[in-house]
Order: sequence, then C-alpha cells, then structure tokens
Amino acid sequence: MTTTPVALARDLPVQRVMRAQVDGCDLAIWRGISGQVQAWENRCPHRGMRLSYGFVRQDSLACAYHGWHYNCEAVCHYIPAHPELQPPASIKPVTYSVVEHQGVLWVNTRNEAEVPEFPEDSIGIRSITFDCPLSVAFEACLAAQLSDEAGLSLSPRQLGDAPLILSFGNQQQADSVLLLFQPSDLANVVIHVLAHHSYSVDGRIGISQWCESVRRQAELNHEVAMNAGMECTHE
Amino acid sequence: MNNGLEYAMHDWYPVAIEGELEIGQSRQTRLLGEQLELRCDDSVCDASVCDASQRAGNTGDSVGTITIFSNGRKLPVQRAFNHLWTTLSEKPRELFAISEAQEPGRRLVPCGVVRVKCSPLRAVENFLDIAHFPFVHTDVLGAEPHTEVYKYDVRIDDTDDEVIASNIRFYQPQASKSSSGGIETQYIYRVPAPMAAVLYKTCPPKPEAMDVIAIFVQPLDEETCNVWPWMALYDDVSSMADLIQFQQLIFLQDRSILENQIPRRLPLDPKMEIPTRADLTSVAYRRWLKRHSAWYGAQISIDSLQNHSEGPNAHELAE
Amino acid sequence: MTIRFYNYVLSGNCYKFRLLASLLAVEYESVAVDFHPGVEHRSEKYLRLNPAGTLPILQADGRVFTETQAMLVWLASKHDKSGAWWPEKNSDAIVQVMQWLGFAARLSATVGELRLHSMLNKDIDAAAAKAGAIKALRELEAHLVQQQIRGEQWLGANSPTVADIACFPYTALSPDAGIEHDAFPAIRQWLYAVRSLDGFVTMPGIHELHEQRDEQSPAAETKTS
Repeated sequence: MTTTPVALARDLPVQRVMRAQVDGCDLAIWRGISGQVQAWENRCPHRGMRLSYGFVRQDSLACAYHGWHYNCEAVCHYIPAHPELQPPASIKPVTYSVVEHQGVLWVNTRNEAEVPEFPEDSIGIRSITFDCPLSVAFEACLAAQLSDEAGLSLSPRQLGDAPLILSFGNQQQADSVLLLFQPSDLANVVIHVLAHHSYSVDGRIGISQWCESVRRQAELNHEVAMNAGMECTHE
Repeated sequence: MNNGLEYAMHDWYPVAIEGELEIGQSRQTRLLGEQLELRCDDSVCDASVCDASQRAGNTGDSVGTITIFSNGRKLPVQRAFNHLWTTLSEKPRELFAISEAQEPGRRLVPCGVVRVKCSPLRAVENFLDIAHFPFVHTDVLGAEPHTEVYKYDVRIDDTDDEVIASNIRFYQPQASKSSSGGIETQYIYRVPAPMAAVLYKTCPPKPEAMDVIAIFVQPLDEETCNVWPWMALYDDVSSMADLIQFQQLIFLQDRSILENQIPRRLPLDPKMEIPTRADLTSVAYRRWLKRHSAWYGAQISIDSLQNHSEGPNAHELAE
Repeated sequence: MTIRFYNYVLSGNCYKFRLLASLLAVEYESVAVDFHPGVEHRSEKYLRLNPAGTLPILQADGRVFTETQAMLVWLASKHDKSGAWWPEKNSDAIVQVMQWLGFAARLSATVGELRLHSMLNKDIDAAAAKAGAIKALRELEAHLVQQQIRGEQWLGANSPTVADIACFPYTALSPDAGIEHDAFPAIRQWLYAVRSLDGFVTMPGIHELHEQRDEQSPAAETKTS
C-alpha cells in the first residue's frame, strides 16, 4: 500500500480532529497544540465510538462519548469516570504513519509514509469530493480544458501513479495546477487541489470553480455509465 | 448458526402510542426484519387475537381497534405503559411489569419515537451508562469536573431474570425538568428484557419517591431501531410538552453517539471493547444476553461463544 | 415588553432564534410546543396564531412572526447595538446577507426534511431530499472556499451576521440526516468558527466544544506522566 494524501494541512488547524478514509480504513486525523499530526484508527477502544467526533485538549485526543484522553503516543492517560486510575498501557488505538509535506497531509496505513516528489511553490486551493470511482474522476480531469490566468491553455501530465498526481502546465509555468488523488472508497474520490503561488485571488477562485465543472462532468459520465450498465443487464 | 432471532421473536415490542392512530388510518412499520401493517378501524375485536381489555378506546381518547398484520397474519396486540405492543410469537413470554405505572399521582408520559441507526442492544446499553453524562449531556445530567463514577452494585436477579444495578450516585447540574440547580442523584437500573430498560432516579419535588424513566426499543432489524422513551413522574408543575421535550433533548443527544459506534452491532467478544469499573452494568448486561443466547443485534464471534469470561482486559479494569 | 417564543427543542429553525438570542444576550419567555408526538402545532390553538402550522412562532412588539429568518432580523435590528449582525448601513454586505438568508430556506427544505425523515420517520421522498441536501451543501462549501481564498471567514460580511446563524443549524445537523461533514472542509472550518462565538449554545446533535473547557481537564498535568 502506498502513501496517500488525506487533507490540505491548513484544513486541520491545531486542536482539531477530522476523518479520512484510506485503503478501506476509517481514520481519525488530529493535530495537537504542539502542531504534530496523528493518524489513528477511528475507533475508541472503550465503546467503539468514532474518535473523529472527539475533541483535542492540549496534546491529547479525547473521545466524545466518555472523554477518555489519549496522548501523542496513543496511550490512554485519563479516564474521567476514574480520575485517580492510571489506565493500563494496553488501551491503545491503532496508529498509522502520517507526515506533513508541502501543505499536504500524507498517510500510509502499512508502512512509514513516504511523500512523493512534487513541485514546490504551490498552495492549497481546496479538497473536493467526487461521488464517482477514481478512474472516472481521473478521466474527466484529463479531458477537461484548463487555462492559466493569461488565457493560455494548460495541458495535463501524470507525475506519479502511486499516489496518483496530475500536473497541469505550459511553457510559462511547468506546474501550474496540481491534483492529488485520494481514492477514498469504492464510491468516491477526494481530490486535493493546489495551484502555483503566483495565482491571484480571482485566479484561485477560478480554479475552484473549474473543479466543480469537472465534478459535474465526472458524475454525469458515471451516471451515464451506470445506466448503460443497467440496460445491458436488462437485455 | 443462531442469529438471535430465536430468543428475540418471543418478546413483546412497542409499535405505537395508544390513541395515536385514528379510525381509518394505517401505518407501516418493521419488527425484527418483518414488515408490519397497523390498521385502526371501528370493527369489533377478533376474540382469537385480542381480548376486550386490549380494545383501543377503553381509555376514552380513541374508539378504534388496532389490528396488526405481518404477511397476512394477524399478530397479538396488547396495551401497556401507554403503548401498543405486539410480538411475532404465538407463545410469547409475558411482558415485564412496571408497578409504578399503577401508582396514583404519577404522570405517565409517552415521549414519542426516535429512529436510530444502531443495534437495539447498543441503545439499551447506552441508557444504562452514566459515565457519558458530563460529555454527552453536558450541564444537564453531568458536567466536568464531576466525572467520577463511584462504586455501585450490579447483580443478575435469578427470580425475575433481570439485570439490576443499584446504589448509583452521580452529580447532576439539572437532573430533571423539575430540578433547579445541581444535586447528587441516586439511580437504580433494571433490564427486564433485552430491549427494554427502566431507570429509577431521585425525584426532586418528592424526595421519598423515585421518578421512573424507561426506554422501550422496537428492533426494526439488527442495526436499526425505534426507541420509545416513557416516563412515570411526580411533577405537577411542568407542562406535558416541557416534560416530553426534556426527555427528547436527552435522548437526541445520545443519538449522534449511537450512530457512530463501530461495529454497529453490540460486540459480545470481550476482546472487542474494554470496560472499566464504571461499566459493570454493561458487563452484566452483555453476560446476561449471552446466557440467554439473546444475540439479535449483537456481533458474535467464535471466541465469545466459547469463552464466557470477560477477558483479561476487563478483569484488569472492571473488577 | 415580553418576547414570547413558541419552541420545539429538536427543531433547527427554533434553534436559529435560540442561538441568536443567546449570542445577543436577549431574554425571552419560551413556551414548549409538543411537536412530536403530540402534533400540538397543528392544533386549533396554534393554527390561530400561525395558520401555516409551523414552528417557531414569535410574539413580540405586538406582532406575530412565523418566518424564522424574519425573527433573526428582528432580533438583530432591535437588540444588537453594534449593527454588525444585521449590517443595514452597508448595502454591499446586506445583499450578501439577503442571499444567504434566502439560501437558508433551501437547507431547511432539504437537510431539515431529510433529518425529520431519519429521526422521526417523517414520510417524504428521501432520495430527492438527499440529492437536494448534497447540492445545497456543495454550494455552501463552494462559497466558503471562495471566502477562504479572499481571506474571509463568514458568509456575507467580514464578521458574523444573521445569515451565518440562519445557515448554521441545518448544516451542522446534517449528520443527523446521514450526511457527514467529511467531504466539506471549508464548512467544517466555518461551523467551528460559529461554535466558538461568545454566548454560543448547543442543541441535540451539535456538541459543545469541550476543548474549550481546558482548565477543567487534568490532561495538561498528566500528559507527560
């Protein structure tokens, strides 16, 4: 299994927790007050509550249900129902490797997370979810027209396949817009969109709107394919 | 493979509030995976499926007779605790009793129905839990720093075949609609059937008595349920709407928790979840479910079938 | 003068009023209406006040208000001395606020209905409500992404307005209807910003920010042990 992008780093400020799906694993990803990011199995060992519903105090993630506190080593150090109890070290959520690199959070559920090489000087625009499989989303992104701020067209090239990265560029700017694909589960895909820092505010808004156009097209393509598939089985 | 239906099908379950359906109305619902239709009409009762005491209209607010069908078969119907109950069984167990329902002076309050995407057993277990009060019912049933759960007693009553937890006390900022300010509240829990739980708690306006709050769970299937909260209170002051909304406020705070527990079914394998001393009621509840093979809504594994102990983790913390 | 508010504790629309009243520290008399299971809002007593048979209902200034968004404007224009919550002097901001006040009705009609279906078994076309809800949430997300790019945090102005309060409840409550916030990072940031406001109150389905009760947690002392 490979290292997968799960979020733009700025979408997970300090003392916040979020949820992500990677390789079929449900993850709670959180950032303590010291800024360090953790990626854990999204399940409190006590009563199975999703930890992504919890809250972050200092450098601990606490479960929303009974407030059990887990520190950065994934050790439960405080059970509010028994304030005096030193919890056994055996109470540990499953942890995964996560790194923050160039404004993106990367997770590997099997090995140490290794971030791919990709161009610097880009900033996060948004993470957008497409309700269609990865292949359909990828095809739609490849087929979509995209221009830079001067109106010159940008053409896509694939930078990597694991993780899947698509870079749009031209002779003026080799890597103008970057799309990082996160296969979330079978039904949808998250695309983390970055752009060269030279883009103006209006240019960045334009890229955000472009993503929505591509999503409409991808989801339409998917729907058409699904309907065609159903017609075939009826015959 | 026993899926637990064998036990569950012989219990009674609530499917409507008394008087809720008007003559001519019908409603679809589900019970243990079976589709049910409730019909309210002015026909005379069919003596073979219900006796006169079960005829709706005896209490005066409605004149209809409720008939319940499942796949064309008429099911037994009975009225209890302001609800209509039915069962898929032809030889059902007797419905449990709540003697306080007959006590004069109590207000009987059916609180409606809330659908939850969780195992019916998870809904009951959550009702038996007090340690979550400061975090889920913040500033109402609990508040930090008063989070400690003191030692209490749990037993399985062999005569009545119920789980009983007693001598529970917990600090509550607003224990009920009728309370003003924080008090240390006393709790007793009873689990008279796998999908019902009754709570007795300090009654602020009448210290010598206890308020009764129950949840009756209608299992739609193993991972979805309708929860029907019901109360028998001493409170002459609050309006009915106030009482109902207080209970709905509490239960809906639980709903977002219940829909986010993994797995959705209650795991009976002791290695799956780690209890502490505060969870002794739940430990007894799970043990009691296992004893009866009452596995509808539970996740069972080979381990949990073979090994009736609570596992090393539980011993470490729960004893 | 008495402000009387007819309330149902689980209603997102009622919560809009309760939330803004709390943020502006406005006191009022609350009357609980048995919406479920009693359907009291459809009783003759309440139909006389509000023939539409909806909640909430507000009686104030000798008038009866039945539209939630109007109640928010009433609260802000009468009780907010800062003028920030209803920025009527700033025409640019006020049209933005109107835009999102209008949008809030779409959230109620989609997320709100789907939530009643999921929670209280309300009989509706759930698939249509879900499609509408996702469409509306995507629009909100798109707008908030653009606001982020502009360096703004709120829906209509550079500080919170009635528009944020009108859109907050059903957006925050969408998990009750089975739509999680995972696919909406900009919405998550905005929800957090609203929940962080001074005087914020919760309702079932919207948890309080326990992280802000920091001083009561022993986490700080024990985390290194």
